[in-house]
Amino acid sequence: MSTHAVGIDFRSNAKKALGDASLRASMRHAAETFASKRTGAFASVPVEDWRDRASEIRLNVLDNLPDYLDRFTAAATRAGAVVHRAKDAAAARETVAYLLKDRRVDKVVKSKSMVTEEIHLNDHLEMRGIEVVETDLGEYIIQIAGEAPSHIIVPAIHKNRRQVGKVFSEKLGVEYTDDPVVLTSIARKILRKEFLSAQAGISGANFAVAESGSLVLFTNEGNGRMVTTLPPLHIAVLSIEKIIPKLSDLAALVRLLPRSATGQTLTSYLSIITGTRRPHERTGSKELHIVLVDNGRSQILAGECRDMLKCIRCSACLNVCPVYRTVGGHAYGSTYPGPMGIILTTLLDGMNRAHPLLDATTLCGACNQVCPVKVPLVRLLRILREQRVEAGFTSPWERTAMAAFGFAAKSPTLFTAGQRLWKTFLPVLGIMERSGTVGRLPKPAGKTFRRRMS
Amino acid sequence: MKDKETVERFLRNAANAAAHTVLVFDVDAMNEAMKDILGTEGAVYCPRETEREKAVIVPEERFTDDYFNASICVEEVFGAIAETGSLICTSTGGRAVQANLLPSHHVALVSPEHIYPTLEDFFAACGDPPPTNITFITGPSRTADIELTLTIGVHGPERVSVIVC
Ligand code: SF4
Repeated sequence: MSTHAVGIDFRSNAKKALGDASLRASMRHAAETFASKRTGAFASVPVEDWRDRASEIRLNVLDNLPDYLDRFTAAATRAGAVVHRAKDAAAARETVAYLLKDRRVDKVVKSKSMVTEEIHLNDHLEMRGIEVVETDLGEYIIQIAGEAPSHIIVPAIHKNRRQVGKVFSEKLGVEYTDDPVVLTSIARKILRKEFLSAQAGISGANFAVAESGSLVLFTNEGNGRMVTTLPPLHIAVLSIEKIIPKLSDLAALVRLLPRSATGQTLTSYLSIITGTRRPHERTGSKELHIVLVDNGRSQILAGECRDMLKCIRCSACLNVCPVYRTVGGHAYGSTYPGPMGIILTTLLDGMNRAHPLLDATTLCGACNQVCPVKVPLVRLLRILREQRVEAGFTSPWERTAMAAFGFAAKSPTLFTAGQRLWKTFLPVLGIMERSGTVGRLPKPAGKTFRRRMS
Repeated sequence: MKDKETVERFLRNAANAAAHTVLVFDVDAMNEAMKDILGTEGAVYCPRETEREKAVIVPEERFTDDYFNASICVEEVFGAIAETGSLICTSTGGRAVQANLLPSHHVALVSPEHIYPTLEDFFAACGDPPPTNITFITGPSRTADIELTLTIGVHGPERVSVIVC
C-alpha cells in the first residue's frame, strides 16, 4: 500500500485549530468546566464498583448481540413498533427517506443523534426535498451556521456566545445579543412552533432494551420528549450496539452516563418509550419505526477491536484528552472526535482514510481512567497503530526504527549503545528523511534515566 | 417505601436538581402551599382525576383543560425516586404525557407511598410490558449549549415545584 494514501489531514487541521485563539479559549474553558463537574459528580460514590458492573453489562451485550437484537425486534414489534434492519448508511438513509416520502412528510423535527450524523441523514433528506429542523439548541446553532458538531454531547462547544449571537442575528434576522438566556428564548419560540406543526419526529436513542423493546433517551432540554411524543410518526435511528438486556440493567448505566457526560446525577429528562400509543391513551406517537443501523458494526464485533462497541457515547474521554482539549473536534475531520472517535473512525472508515488520526493521541491513558464502561481505549489505539505499521501507512524509516528498537530493547548493552547512537544521529536523520517521521519524534534527554539513577 | 429517610432523601435530591420542594401532611396545608406556588397569574391545567388532584383548589377563572395553552400544569405524578430526586410520570391510565412538558411551570403532587428508594426498586416494580411512556423528570428543562453556561427553561418547564403530601 502506498504511504501517500489520501487520509484525513489531521496535521494541517490541528495547525489551523492551534492558530485560532477564540477556539482555544472556548476549549480551555470547556476542559476546565467539564473536569470540575465530573470530579464533583463522582466525589462520594462507589465509582469503581459501578464501572465494573456497567462494563459487565456491556460485555454481555457484545457476547450475545445477534440474539439480543432478535429479542429486541420481537418485543418492540409486540409493542406496536416496526423494526427495520439497515446494513449500511445508504440503506438506513433510504429507509428513513422512504417512510417520510410515503407519508408525504415534507418537514421533520429532529433531536440530537450522532448515528444520523454518521450516516449523513440530514443531507440526504434535504436532497429528497424534506426539510429537517434540528431542535437541540446546540444542534440548532450549528445547523443554521451550516457547520458540523465538534463534540458528541455539546455540538457547538467550539463557539463562544458572541459567535452564537452573530449567527442568530445573521440567519434568523433577530437583533444581536450575546446573552445566552435571550438566545435560548429566541430558539424556544421558533422551535415550539415547529414541534406543534411537525408531521414526523426523528430521534436517536441512548439504549434499546432487548427484553421489553423499549427505547431510552436522556435529554436536558425537553426537545427529545417533544420529538418522540408530539408528531404522529416517530422514527428512531440507532446503531445496533445500543442494546442492553433488561430494563433493570438501566439503573447501572443511568448512574454513570449523565455523571460522566455533564456531571449531573441525572439529566432533566429520561424517557423510556415502549411501542406506540395504546387504544386508551391520549398521547404518544401513532406510528413508531425503529431503524437499527449496522454500518460496519458486525464486522467490528468479529475483530480485535470489538470492545469499542461497549462505548455509551458519554464524551468523558474527549473531555480529558490533551489532544482534543487543545485542537477541538473539527480537526479530526470525522463524525466522532477524541480518543473514541479516532478508534471508531478507523474501524468504520478504514485505515486508508483514518490513518493520520492515529497520531492524534499521546497514549497518556487519561481516557482509560474515566471511561464509565471501561473501554480499553489505549489498548485499542495501540492495536490500530500496529495495524497501521503493518499496512504500510508509516514510512519505511519508521518501520525499520521500530524493528531495531524491538531488537535492541531486549539487551541492556545494545539498548545503551542504541541510546548513544540515537542522540548522535537523530539530527542527521532529520535532514536525510523528509516525510516528517523523524521530526515528530521526541528529542532525546540530555542524561538518560539509567545514568541519573546510577 | 414511605420511611422518613426515603422521603427526605428524595426532597434533598430534588432540591439539588433545582426543583422547589414542599412537604405537607394534610389537604389544607397542601392548598396553602399551592396558593403560594400558583401565584396570581396564568392558566392552570389540572386533570382532576386522582383524589389528590380533586382536592386541589384552583381559582375557577384560571382553570383550563387545554394543556397546550396552559402556563401551569398541576398533577399527581406516578411516583418518585429518592436516589436521583426524580419525578416519575407515565402514560398509565391514559395520562397525557406532554401535559407537564408544554406549560412553563410543572407542579407535581407526590404521595410518599410512591417514592422508591433506588432506581432498581422502580424498575423492579414497573411491570411487563412497561407503560408506553415513562419519563423521569429531574428538575427544570435546561441547557448548557452556549459556552456551557447553565440556562434554565429551554423547551420544557422552567419551574418545577414538588409537593409531597
Ligand atoms: S469510550 Fe468510554 S469515555 Fe469515551 S465516549 Fe465511549 S463510553 Fe465515554
